[in-house]
Amino acid sequence: MENEHHGSKKYGMVIDLDKCTGCGACMAACMSENNVPFKKDETDKLTSITWLRVFKLSNGKPYPDSDICYLPRPCMHCAGPGEHGHSPCVSVCPATATDYSSETGIVSQIYTRCFGCRYCMAACPYHARYFNWWDPVWPDGMEKYLSPNVSPRMRGIVEKCSFCFHRYQLAKDKAYSEGRRELEEGEYQTACTQACPADAITFGDLNNPHHKVHQLAQPDPDNCGKPRNPHAFRLLERLGTNPKVYYLSSREWVRRAGDNYLESDGTSAAH
Amino acid sequence: MKIDRRCFLSLGVGAAAGVALSPLPWKLLDDSSIWSQNWPWTPVPKDGAASYVHSTCTLCPGGCGITVKKIGDRAVKIEGKAGHPVNNGGVCIMGLSGLQLLYGPTRVQSPLKRVGERGEGKWKEISWQEAIAEVAGTLQKIRAEGDAHTVAGIMESDRGTVPRLMQRLLTAYGSPNFFRMPSMQDSYEQALYLMQGVRAMPGFDVENADFILSFGSGLIEGWGAPVRMIQANSNWRSTGAHVVQVEPRLSNTAAKSDEWIPVKPGAEAALALGIAHVMIKENRCSGFADQAAFGFDDFVDDEGRTHKGFKQLVLESYSPETVAEVTGIDSRRIVDLARAFAAAKRPIALTGRGRGLTPGSVSDVMAIHALNALAGNINADGGIWAVPEPDYIEWPAPEMDRVAVDGIQKGRIDKAGGSEIPYTQYLLNRFALTAQGKGDYPIKALMVSEANPAYSLPDTRMFQKALDAIPFVVSFSSYMDETALQADLILPNHMYLERYEEVPAPAGYSKPLIGLTRPVIKPLYNTKHVGDTLIGIARQLGGNIAKAFPWTDYESCLRNTISGKWDSLMRKGFWWNAAYKPAPASNGFDTASGKFEFAVTIPRGTDKAGDALLPKYQPIIPEGDIAEFPLLLMPYETMCLSSGYTGSPPFMMKTVPDTVLKGNTGLVEISPETATSLNLDEGDPVMLTTPKGQANLRVHLSDGVPPGILAMPRGLGHRAYDDYMADKGVNINELMGPVEDPVSGLDAAWGIRANLTKA
Amino acid sequence: MIDSALIPEGVKRCPTWKFLLALAISGAVALWGVYAMLLCWFKGLNQTNMNDYYGFALWIWADLAVIALGGGAFFTGLLRYVIGKKELKNIVNYAVLIGFICYSSALLILGMDVGQPMRGWFIFWHANVHSMLTEVAFCLSCYFGVLCIEYLPLVLENRQVDRVPFFHNLSHNFHEIMVVFAATGAFLSFFHQGSLGGVAGVLYGRPFGYREGLLIWPWTFFLFTWSAAACGPCFTIFITRLTEKITGKQLVKPEVVQLLAKIAGWMLATYLVAKIADTLWWAFKTAPAAGFNFMDFYSNNALYGPWILFTEIIICGVLPAVILTVTPLRERSGLLFTAVILASIGVCLNRWVMVLQVLAAPVMTFDKWVLYYPSWQEVATTILPVAYGVILIMISYRYLPIFPQERELNPVVDSTT
Ligand SMILES: Nc1nc2c(c(=O)[nH]1)N[C@H]1C(S)=C(S)[C@@H](COP(=O)(O)OP(=O)(O)OC[C@H]3O[C@@H](n4cnc5c(=O)[nH]c(N)nc54)[C@H](O)[C@@H]3O)O[C@H]1N2
Ligand SMILES: Nc1nc2c(c(=O)[nH]1)N[C@H]1C(S)=C(S)[C@@H](COP(=O)(O)OP(=O)(O)OC[C@H]3O[C@@H](n4cnc5c(=O)[nH]c(N)nc54)[C@H](O)[C@@H]3O)O[C@H]1N2
Ligand code: SF4
Ligand code: SF4
Ligand code: SF4
Ligand code: SF4
Ligand code: SF4
Ligand SMILES: [Mo]
Repeated sequence: MENEHHGSKKYGMVIDLDKCTGCGACMAACMSENNVPFKKDETDKLTSITWLRVFKLSNGKPYPDSDICYLPRPCMHCAGPGEHGHSPCVSVCPATATDYSSETGIVSQIYTRCFGCRYCMAACPYHARYFNWWDPVWPDGMEKYLSPNVSPRMRGIVEKCSFCFHRYQLAKDKAYSEGRRELEEGEYQTACTQACPADAITFGDLNNPHHKVHQLAQPDPDNCGKPRNPHAFRLLERLGTNPKVYYLSSREWVRRAGDNYLESDGTSAAH
Repeated sequence: MKIDRRCFLSLGVGAAAGVALSPLPWKLLDDSSIWSQNWPWTPVPKDGAASYVHSTCTLCPGGCGITVKKIGDRAVKIEGKAGHPVNNGGVCIMGLSGLQLLYGPTRVQSPLKRVGERGEGKWKEISWQEAIAEVAGTLQKIRAEGDAHTVAGIMESDRGTVPRLMQRLLTAYGSPNFFRMPSMQDSYEQALYLMQGVRAMPGFDVENADFILSFGSGLIEGWGAPVRMIQANSNWRSTGAHVVQVEPRLSNTAAKSDEWIPVKPGAEAALALGIAHVMIKENRCSGFADQAAFGFDDFVDDEGRTHKGFKQLVLESYSPETVAEVTGIDSRRIVDLARAFAAAKRPIALTGRGRGLTPGSVSDVMAIHALNALAGNINADGGIWAVPEPDYIEWPAPEMDRVAVDGIQKGRIDKAGGSEIPYTQYLLNRFALTAQGKGDYPIKALMVSEANPAYSLPDTRMFQKALDAIPFVVSFSSYMDETALQADLILPNHMYLERYEEVPAPAGYSKPLIGLTRPVIKPLYNTKHVGDTLIGIARQLGGNIAKAFPWTDYESCLRNTISGKWDSLMRKGFWWNAAYKPAPASNGFDTASGKFEFAVTIPRGTDKAGDALLPKYQPIIPEGDIAEFPLLLMPYETMCLSSGYTGSPPFMMKTVPDTVLKGNTGLVEISPETATSLNLDEGDPVMLTTPKGQANLRVHLSDGVPPGILAMPRGLGHRAYDDYMADKGVNINELMGPVEDPVSGLDAAWGIRANLTKA
Repeated sequence: MIDSALIPEGVKRCPTWKFLLALAISGAVALWGVYAMLLCWFKGLNQTNMNDYYGFALWIWADLAVIALGGGAFFTGLLRYVIGKKELKNIVNYAVLIGFICYSSALLILGMDVGQPMRGWFIFWHANVHSMLTEVAFCLSCYFGVLCIEYLPLVLENRQVDRVPFFHNLSHNFHEIMVVFAATGAFLSFFHQGSLGGVAGVLYGRPFGYREGLLIWPWTFFLFTWSAAACGPCFTIFITRLTEKITGKQLVKPEVVQLLAKIAGWMLATYLVAKIADTLWWAFKTAPAAGFNFMDFYSNNALYGPWILFTEIIICGVLPAVILTVTPLRERSGLLFTAVILASIGVCLNRWVMVLQVLAAPVMTFDKWVLYYPSWQEVATTILPVAYGVILIMISYRYLPIFPQERELNPVVDSTT
């Protein structure tokens, strides 16, 4: 494989909205895997840290023509226009506290470097970034379940989905110790992918034609990864953020809800 | 030396410049940021060796295999067990949140004796010896007074060693009053018994079905074994199976289905019979109805009376036009639906509204089950199987002394299984009434284990009154739940990650399977396995009761009981009969006719001349006066909220949308049309009133609910537990009340009349 | 008066008690702000009403606004020292003082706004050259240094300080090289005013803010610089006139004010041509390319309607531009005063829109408008710079020869004071 030779990966996700049940297991798996804190009241969604948030979409029609669909939204790990790694957020962070890895395509977040200016949050149109408005507090004793693989964040900084980067590192370490340079598809999977009871989330290397994500999304390398699968779409494709999370839906209205269209744009834009 | 102004100023400027050029400020700057990166109040999880323990989740009847990751002696993550027959690596939000229960603040940390008023939450820690002695002493006293029958026990399930120990204790002691929490299980089991003559559990071979006709079941919202069902649903997407959801509200299941039939509330069974009508009329039934069934055609009973068969009944009374009127579904659509169902290779019709938390009407279940018979999928691939009750518990019946025999003979307080309601085992919905002196005798003591009836039974206020009237209430709960809060004594069980226990038969699963839950970590607190506690109580009661409990402890009881399968359980975490297939329908049925009975004529062993019981549409009328309560309140279930077991830990609460709960106020869903007629807008505060109670809420406008309907989720409004769960929204059970099913006496309520006013 | 030795010669100042009373009142307001500031520092930004949708809010607006208003300093300096409009020396001191207040306030606010103030210096140490905020941080700090240097000679001119020969000479030398600093200041200002405009303009994920542009700079970059150059002097004039009203004295000759106002007027007029062109291009090209109708940004919410655009561009833009450029109108004192106030409001409104509305407008189709109102802590900390500014102006005015024409315009009869 050409890509395997020069080792440049483009990890990404395909989420099948026909399968997603809105059950929220992915959200909880992410919270549990990544030591995401919680408060006594989490009903103010504007201050509730959810690296992965399941949005509820509706078609806006009255009963009984109404329809709903759930859309899980992790960080899109945007590659930016032309895949140069100028993600909306990365390009604006003044302290290089969030970065685009050309090795994996993952947008990192360095908690100890972030000084909490929140410019990246203003830049992200997906609201994938969350600020620690409070000190994280676990009820007495509950800090026992915290995972040592992900450091809990302090007050005053921004955090977001990392594509469970620590799992990549652990998998890499293991592979290296076994004398391998390349990871198998199944060796690096995110916590949400693993947990989803509906098998709605697929994760892998979008550059690798053998990986399921590639086959599902059929990214067009000549067009910044635009999906060629007519049922696939990305959120806000038109802004040029170049996300690495693809969605599948057999429903036209759902695909259309993924982006903004003018009436004059017609329907073809949404496939 | 005189320092003049000039000198002073120069010195000052010089000093400032000096400090700025020295390393001091820069070092301070650096140190302060390093400090901010290591704030001592931000926890740093301790590292250690990673290990994995395979166990079984008990947080719902789903029976998923789980793998718990440990770092040192800490459990840090719960994941689905790959390769497990039920959930193959999947896990639900509830199962994922288990560690927050384990380490959370709601645990009862030692035996507690109430010192304040009931419900006040004032406790004294006591020793296990004292606790067991106190229970045994009180029971001994009640027994001595000849009131053994007035002791009741409530558990979530009646399957498995622990529920059986509780039942055994009550039996040997002399009480018939063991209760299982109500659910769909009750009505489905009864329907199976009546139509197929088996005491069995329905197994749904959903993986192999190609047309799923669901009458209100929350297939992806916790019905049956939740993870298994969600996986099956995804699988249907690839196999091209057709899913039809018959349900008034646009639930997630309805939205994900291929076809949503927005039926009028409560009219699901009518639709089923309309479909039956079309199938019969157009001759689209399988041969099963003619060949293997009884009561399809008109028939003559032993005494020469002619009875109308199912066919005639359906053809006369359930034409698509009639049904269209009842259900609000266009008659064309009914015909199309019937044709599609009949044309499918392996269609399955199933029910149990939402998660199946209310038993529902047995007639409804029979009407829907009849469709399976018409389609010929009883005990067939992709159909409904009768799965035998697990039979590994082969304890000799306890020896009964005279007191015990007398007690049992007094009869159950709910009259379940009595002459009026011969096929129903438990009627917890009557418990509240009878315990208030409306029964044949008062209840003097109640033991509750793994159940939280003070929260989860409809009409909680009534149940509270019943509790108030019981002089001695014991809870075995691991958590300070609503029922435990009302107890006089709490003898806390280990929670499921700290104990051994077998988990029989995941709900709705089509093959016999037993899971094993095992200690992931050592018990954190001074708790005791409820099995050991029950054995301890029996021992102290002495005599025949003690004799009925020959085991040294629960673990040995479990090992002995399960002996042949123990190895498999320990090795794989589960035992199953992978090759299991039910006896084909051609083998006949265990009914009086030896066939599948559309017309249930002869309750076996009794009353041979009983009237024919046919699947009919018998509307269940919701409680309340329509003039006073012009609207209807219907509960719904969501995976984000636990509606039973333990409430929803913080992970789950975090996923609850702000259109369901905002701050501490719950929201009730209404259609924009209804909102306009009530002059209400999104978020307006309202007072919701039902015949059972009232609650302050806000409204959320949703196009998914039909006009005139109010929808609210189950699982909010806890009053016990911790600050992360308590006092958030409204417990819908406080607003609902049971409506007895005329056939079974079970709670068949699917809603309650309600009124909504601007607050 | 006990402090008469400090007061410049030949001018009249209010009695000490009055001064102290005013100081006390402003001080109390400032203390309230300091209390709120300490709350924010010690308890964290949960003291604000900011949230994950409003990562930027009142403070960042205040920052941008205050820096735009402080733009009088660099632009007047540019005119005075580089372009050589000598008359402006009579107002440039005050412009510098106002600029100093504005910029020090901006830095203070930034120090509160970041979640980890102790790591604030990472912006320099780990600088990301692609970030507009990095550009802002560097230029802003440097320019603040320049402002300090520009303000310092004024301090050195205090009667007592000036007595010290070292300071006297220092002051003199500063004046000699001030042209260098003014030029540097103008250059730096051009970039940080611009990069502040770039802050929203580069957000290609936020169609309301995003603009195409020239090289690495979006059009907002130039628009911000331009508008600051236009409205900063207006604010200087406004504060000067306000000071005159409060002190009851004329402090700057009308010709000087007229000159600055005229230049500001033309700047504003040309700015508006550019702004309107930009708005049209954005409304009919940029936004539609991202799938947005222009009106999507001005509907379906309780606050941001077309009125805001009309107010910013017409009422607070075209109107003052006309007044300031048409001599007979400009020469009417009331109209002039109205015009500089409107222009100042206009630039503040522009900054509000380019911070808050950028974030308020939903981008994902299933997202919703979120409106925001500040907490009292945010309000108090935002008023803090105002109180601090008043204090600094009071002290500076009392003890420093801010207005070179004051003596001439207000001859003191009894020079003993
Ligand atoms: N997120 C979340 N998920 C939940 C819950 C929650 O609170 N939150 N609650 C859970 C709870 S408490 C429940 S009861 C469920 C609802 O699950 P339910 O739908 O109440 O489960 P049942 O009705 O028991 O399952 C459907 C059918 O399975 C049959 N059945 C019952 N036991 C067995 C068995 O052992 N073997 C076989 N083969 N069939 C069986 C029953 O007769 C019934 O007809 O939802 C669970 N899921
Ligand atoms: N109206 C209405 N009626 C219902 C339901 C409903 O939601 N609404 N649900 C129905 C159904 S399907 C069910 S299953 C029942 C559920 O009703 P319950 O069984 O009464 O409700 P749960 O809250 O599941 O009760 C389980 C309790 O057991 C305790 N518990 C959990 N784990 C452990 C443990 O490891 N050890 C010990 N000792 N205790 C433990 C917890 O305190 C928990 O509160 O209610 C049924 N009836
Ligand atoms: S776990 Fe899977 S099915 Fe559930 S909400 Fe997440 S993506 Fe959807
Ligand atoms: S989704 Fe947001 S946070 Fe994630 S890479 Fe894109 S812009 Fe950055
Ligand atoms: S908040 Fe942190 S990550 Fe975001 S832009 Fe500022 S420093 Fe960078
Ligand atoms: S990939 Fe990992 S970090 Fe991102 S949402 Fe999924 S579980 Fe969370
Ligand atoms: S479905 Fe039930 S058994 Fe399975 S993980 Fe969830 S709570 Fe546990
Ligand atoms: Mo249950």
